[in-house]
Amino acid sequence: MENQFEVKQDGAILSIVLGNELTTVNAPQLMDELNKYRDKGIEKVVFDASKLTYIASSGVRVIVFAKQKLGGDPVIEFVNCQKDIYDIFELIGVQDYIEFVEK
Amino acid sequence: MRQLHFQPIAGKTPDILDAILRTPEVASIGREAKIIRLVCEELVVNVVDYAYPDCEDGYLDVNIDKDDKAITIQLKDGGVPFNPLEREMPDTTIPLKERRIGGLGIFITIKKMDDVKYEYVNNENVLTIKKNLSNEE
Repeated sequence: MENQFEVKQDGAILSIVLGNELTTVNAPQLMDELNKYRDKGIEKVVFDASKLTYIASSGVRVIVFAKQKLGGDPVIEFVNCQKDIYDIFELIGVQDYIEFVEK
Repeated sequence: MRQLHFQPIAGKTPDILDAILRTPEVASIGREAKIIRLVCEELVVNVVDYAYPDCEDGYLDVNIDKDDKAITIQLKDGGVPFNPLEREMPDTTIPLKERRIGGLGIFITIKKMDDVKYEYVNNENVLTIKKNLSNEE
């Protein structure tokens, strides 16, 4: 249960509360969930990463998917991103496309 | 050297990864533990999902060797010949909206490991990764 995520839409904002890990097991499930919001006028996707301590490349693909495929080039926001996770984003070169927010 | 044998492997990525991470050699790694986990996950997924497209009974052998300075992990499978190091690497400099979405796993592996080798020997794909250890928490 600790790796489950919650997705909520509030107008044009899609909020995702991530669990402890985004792995090859649960990232495809999140991708399927996000796919339901394609072309639904989403302008901003907020990932709450307060609990996230591990991300696999399939997890990064979910974020790239949100930017590329949801439609409308939404803003991607990451809340409370830990350094290990940021380092992976930096390695892959996606950090400049994510707004990092501390709350 | 620690030797692990997995067969069949279809749908078993979490179990295989768990077994690798629970070996004393991997479980005792300090600061590099997360990146070793990440790389192992990518490599195991590649074998489980792609090595045996027409076979339910494929295997994966994992050999782990560790000393004070480094850990070496070797994955062997008898699946279709595939050299992941020849795969086109994602271009991380082009705008995100235009990027291809694949190839991130092997890209991370090459960037974060100190040595990555591929051979095709005796009808097996043999991928060997080595990571130098800082021995810090």
